[in-house]
Amino acid sequence: MKGAGLAGIAGLAGCIGTGDPGGSDGSDGSDGDDGSDGSDGSDGDDGSDGGSGMASEINVWGWDVAARALMITAEEYESENDATVAVEEFGRSAMKDRLQTNLLSGSGAPAVSMLESVDGPSFIDTGSVAPLTDEIEEAGVQDDFVSGKWEALTVDGDIYALPWDTGPTAVYYRRSIYEEHGLDPEGIETWADFIEEGQKLPDDVDMLNLPEGDLSGVWRYQFRQLSGEPFLESGEVNIHNEKSLRVAQNIKEIYDADIAANIEGWTSAWFSAYGDGTVASLPSAAWMEGTLRAELPDTSGDWGVFKIPALESGGPRASNWGGSNLMIADQVSDDKKERGWDYMEYSLATEEMQLAMYDEYGLFPALETTYEDPVFDEELDFYDGQPARALFAEVAQEAPGYRFTEDTPEVSQAIETELQRMINGEQSPEEAVQAAAETVAENTDRDLA
Amino acid sequence: MATSDETDDRIGQAYRRRVRTTVRTAARKFRRAARPLWDRFRFARQDLTAATPTLPRVAYIFIAPFFLLFSVFLAFPVFYTLYLSFFEYQGVGQGSLFWVDLGPVYLEIPKIARLDFVGLGNYARLLGNDLFWQSMFNTSYILVIQVPLMIGLALALALALNASFLRLKGVFRTAIALPVSANLVAYSTVFLLLFNEQLGFLNYVLAGVGLGPVPWLTDGFWARNTIIAAVTWRWTGYNMIILLAGLQTIPQQLYEAAEIDGANRWEKFRYVTLPQLKPVFLFVVVLSTIGTFKLFAEPYVITGGGPTNSTITIVQYIYRQAFVNFNLGYASALTVVFVAVVSAFSVAQIKIGGED
Amino acid sequence: MREQRRKDAVWRFLTYAFVITMVVVMMVPLYWMLVAATLPQEQFLQFPPRLIPGTAFLDNFAALQERLDFVRTIRNSVLIAVVYTLLSLVLCSMAGFAFAKYEFKFKEPIFYAILATLVLPIQLLVIPLFLLMAQLDWTNTFRAIILPWAANPIGIFLMRQNMKSIPDALLESARMDGATEFQIFYRIALPTMRSSLAALAIILFLFQWDLFLYPLVILETADMYTIPIGLAQLTGFQRIYYDQIMVAATLAIVPMVVLFLVLQKQFVSGILAGSLKE
Repeated sequence: MKGAGLAGIAGLAGCIGTGDPGGSDGSDGSDGDDGSDGSDGSDGDDGSDGGSGMASEINVWGWDVAARALMITAEEYESENDATVAVEEFGRSAMKDRLQTNLLSGSGAPAVSMLESVDGPSFIDTGSVAPLTDEIEEAGVQDDFVSGKWEALTVDGDIYALPWDTGPTAVYYRRSIYEEHGLDPEGIETWADFIEEGQKLPDDVDMLNLPEGDLSGVWRYQFRQLSGEPFLESGEVNIHNEKSLRVAQNIKEIYDADIAANIEGWTSAWFSAYGDGTVASLPSAAWMEGTLRAELPDTSGDWGVFKIPALESGGPRASNWGGSNLMIADQVSDDKKERGWDYMEYSLATEEMQLAMYDEYGLFPALETTYEDPVFDEELDFYDGQPARALFAEVAQEAPGYRFTEDTPEVSQAIETELQRMINGEQSPEEAVQAAAETVAENTDRDLA
Repeated sequence: MATSDETDDRIGQAYRRRVRTTVRTAARKFRRAARPLWDRFRFARQDLTAATPTLPRVAYIFIAPFFLLFSVFLAFPVFYTLYLSFFEYQGVGQGSLFWVDLGPVYLEIPKIARLDFVGLGNYARLLGNDLFWQSMFNTSYILVIQVPLMIGLALALALALNASFLRLKGVFRTAIALPVSANLVAYSTVFLLLFNEQLGFLNYVLAGVGLGPVPWLTDGFWARNTIIAAVTWRWTGYNMIILLAGLQTIPQQLYEAAEIDGANRWEKFRYVTLPQLKPVFLFVVVLSTIGTFKLFAEPYVITGGGPTNSTITIVQYIYRQAFVNFNLGYASALTVVFVAVVSAFSVAQIKIGGED
Repeated sequence: MREQRRKDAVWRFLTYAFVITMVVVMMVPLYWMLVAATLPQEQFLQFPPRLIPGTAFLDNFAALQERLDFVRTIRNSVLIAVVYTLLSLVLCSMAGFAFAKYEFKFKEPIFYAILATLVLPIQLLVIPLFLLMAQLDWTNTFRAIILPWAANPIGIFLMRQNMKSIPDALLESARMDGATEFQIFYRIALPTMRSSLAALAIILFLFQWDLFLYPLVILETADMYTIPIGLAQLTGFQRIYYDQIMVAATLAIVPMVVLFLVLQKQFVSGILAGSLKE
C-alpha cells in the first residue's frame, strides 16, 4: 500500500507520482503477497450471451502452418458471423518474443493467440492469460477433448486455454530399409527389441537419430509414457525418481548400442539422412507426417508407423509430443474476449473445423469426438496403405497427462545439459538425473521430492 | 631492348628525384606552417584563459541532445531495470506504477508487475548460480581469443588497404566489409551448413587433406571456436573500416618527415602510425570488447547456447531468464551486474590505454 | 637499390596475397548465400552442396513477395536507417567535438556515463521501453525506433576519439580570426573528419539495420516491418523457408553496397593535410 501513500503525497504536488493516481481506483494496486492469481477471476462473469456484447473485429496470432489453418476457420467464421477475424502469421520465436513482451507489459496483445502446451503454465503463471473455466463449462466441451491435454492448461483449478491439436507419438520407419535388412516392425515391443533389431543394420545405416539439443524432448515423451510427473502435486522436484532414471538409462542404452546418428534436427543434413535412408526410423509424433510429406516427397509410400516401444515388456506404449492450444490475453476488452472465445469455440470445438485443419495442414485434432469420423480409418498411400490415423487416434486417447508448470523451461534446460553430459560419458544416468533435479530445485527454490 | 631499359631507368631516376624534392618541400612547408600556428597557439592560450568561462556553455549545448533523448527515452527503462532488480517477479500487475500529470500531457506507466521485495536476494542468487558462471566463462573465453584475433586482422587489412601501391581499393574494401551486412538468420544458416560435422563443406575440405572430422557444433570446445569464427567473419571488415578512417586522419606529412629521417617501414609504423592511431585503436578495442561481451545473436541462432551450455553467453543467459523463465527481477539484477562489470572493464581499458 | 626493389616487390606480393585471401574468406559464405537464393529449396538441401547458381531466383523472389511485401520491407529498413544515420551523425559529431576539444565541469564522469549506456544490452530494455512507447502511443511508428538511440554512444565515442587528432592550433587560429564555436565545429572540425564521418555513417546505418528484438515488438503491422523482422517470419517451427530467406538476405545486402559506393569518395588519405595547408 506504499504506492497509494506515495500517490497521495505526489497528488498534492500535482504533477508526478507513483502508484495509482488519486488512489480511487478499486483495483488491488500493489499486492506483493504471493503468486496466486485470484485477483482477476471476475472476468468471465457475464459469460457468452450470444452476439450483442461481442467485438466486431479481433486479431489472432499464430505461426507457420497453424496460422494458415486458422485462416481457414476464420474465413468460415466470418461467413457465418458479422465479424472480422484477422489472423496474423508469424515466425515461431518471433511471435513468442513479441507476445511475451506484450503480455508482460499489459499492452498490445491480440485477443486470441496460439499457446503451446509446453509453454502453458509459464505463460499462465504471469497472470496475463484470461481464465476460461466458465466458458468451457457453459459450452460443455471439456469431455469432447482428449483428457491428456487439460493438465497443462489448468492452474489452481482454473482452465486458461482450449486444446487445439495434439501430438500422439509413434515411430516412423522406412519400409524398404527395414525389409532390405530383415527388420521386423511387428516384432518390436520394447526398446530392447528396438535396439536388437537396429543392430541388424549395416554400419552406414543408423536405426534412429538421437540429436543433441533434443534430448529433453526425448526424455519428456518417454517420461510421460511412464506417467512420470516432473513435480509432485505439492511442488517438489521429482525428476530424479525411478521413472526418470529408467528413461535416462534407456537413452544411454540406445546411445551405447551404437545404433544412433547424431544429426542436428531440422537441418538439411537431417532431412537428407531420412531421404537417403541412412537413418531408418524416426520416433516422433503425428505432426511429423506433414513435414515428411512436404520435405521428402520422393519417400511417400515407403513409410510405416508403429507405437513407440515400451520401456519394459507389457508396459505402456503411448505418449504425447507437442501440441498447441488457443488462449485469450487478459488485457483485452471484454467484448473482444467474448468474440475471441466465440471464434475459438467455433474453430476448435466443432468437428468440422478440426477435421478441415487436419485435412489441410495435418494438425492432429485434440477433439476426441472427431476420431469416429471415417477419415481415421482410411488407408493412406503415404504409409503404403496402413491406416495410420487410427493408430494415432488410439495413442492420443491413451497418452497420459503431464504436469507442465511455470518451471518447465528450467526442467528442459537442466535435463538437456545433464543428459548430454551423460552421453559424453562424464556421468552415469543416476548422477545425471540427480544433478538435473538439484539444478532445478536450486533455480526454482523448490525442494527435492 | 637495352635502350628502352636505359630510358626507363633514366625516367625512373628523374621521377624519384622529383618525388624526393616534393616530399622535402612538403615536409618543409608543414614545419613552416606548423611553427607560426604553434606560436599563435601559445599566445592565444593566454587570451583564452580569460575567455574560458563562456566555452563550457557551448560544450553543454553540444552534448545536450544526448541528454534530452536519454532522459526522455532511456532513463525510464534503465531505472526501471535497476528497480526491478530488487524484486521477485510474481506476475502481471494492475494499476499504476508511476505517473506524470502536466496538465495537457498525462503519462501513466502502469504497474506491470506484482513484485515481492527481495532486497539483494537476486544478486546473492546469481553469485551462487552455476550457469551464470558458466556463461561468464564462455563469454570470457570467446572475448580473450576473438577480440585480439579480429582486431589484429582488421588492423592488418586497414594498413594494407591504406598502402599507396594497392589497386582496386574500393572493391577490396567493400568485399571485406560486406559480411557485416549479411542478415543474421541467413548467415547463421550458411554457417550451420559450412560447419556441419557430417556434411559440412569445411570438414569436406579438411578430409581432403586427411584431417578431421572436427565436431564443430557438437563438441563444447569446438562449438565455442565456431562462434568465434562466425563473429570474426562478420565483424572484421567493420573494424577495418573504422581503423582505415583513423589511418586516413593521420597527416601525410608525418610520414614524409619520417622518411626523410630514414625511417623504414616498421619504424614508420611504430613511431608514426601507432601513436597517431591510438585514440581510434582504443575505440576499436573498447567497442569490440563491449560488443563481444554483449554477444547474443550468434550463439542464439547458431548453437542455441549448447552443447551442454558451452556456448551460452551472459546476455543469452539473461534473455533466457527474462523471456523464457519469466524471472524478470533476477534478469534485471543480472543486467545491472553485467553493465557494471563491462563498464568497469571499458574504463580500465581506456585508462590503461593511456588516455590523455 | 635493387635489393630494396626486390624487398618492395615481395612486400607488395605478400600484401596482395593477404588481402585477396581475406576477400575470398569473406566472400565464400556470401557466395553460398547467393547460390542458395537461386536454387529451389530441395536442391539447396542436397549434399554435396551445389556451388553453381541455379535459375530459380525470380521464382523464389515471387514466393517471398507473396508471403510478405519484401520490396516495402526493404524500403522501410532503408528509410529508417537513412533518417537515423543523418540525424545521429549530427548529434554524435557535436557531442564528440565537445568531449574532444572543450574543458568543462564533470567532463569525465559525463563521458563515462555515456559510455555506460553503450554497454546496455538492448534486448534487456525491450520490455520497459515498449511500455513507455505504448504510453506515448508511439507503438507501430518509425519514430519509436529512430529516436531512443539517435544520440548514439558509439558515435559520440568514435567522434571524440577522432577529433582528438585535430590539432588544437587549427581551432585556435580560427578562434583568433573571430569564428564562433559553431563555425569552428562546422567549418574546421567537420571537414577534417570526412573519412571518420563515413565510417560512422556505416556504423550507425548498421546499428539500425541489425536491430531485431526491439522493432519486432514495436512494429505491429506487416506494412511497417523491417528486414530482420520480415525474415523472422520465415522461420516456422517445422519448416524454415531457406530459399526465401536467402533471397531476402541477398537483396538486403544491396542497400549496404549502395551505401559503400556512396561513401567511397570519403575514404581518401590526407584530408587533414589539405586543410592544414590552407
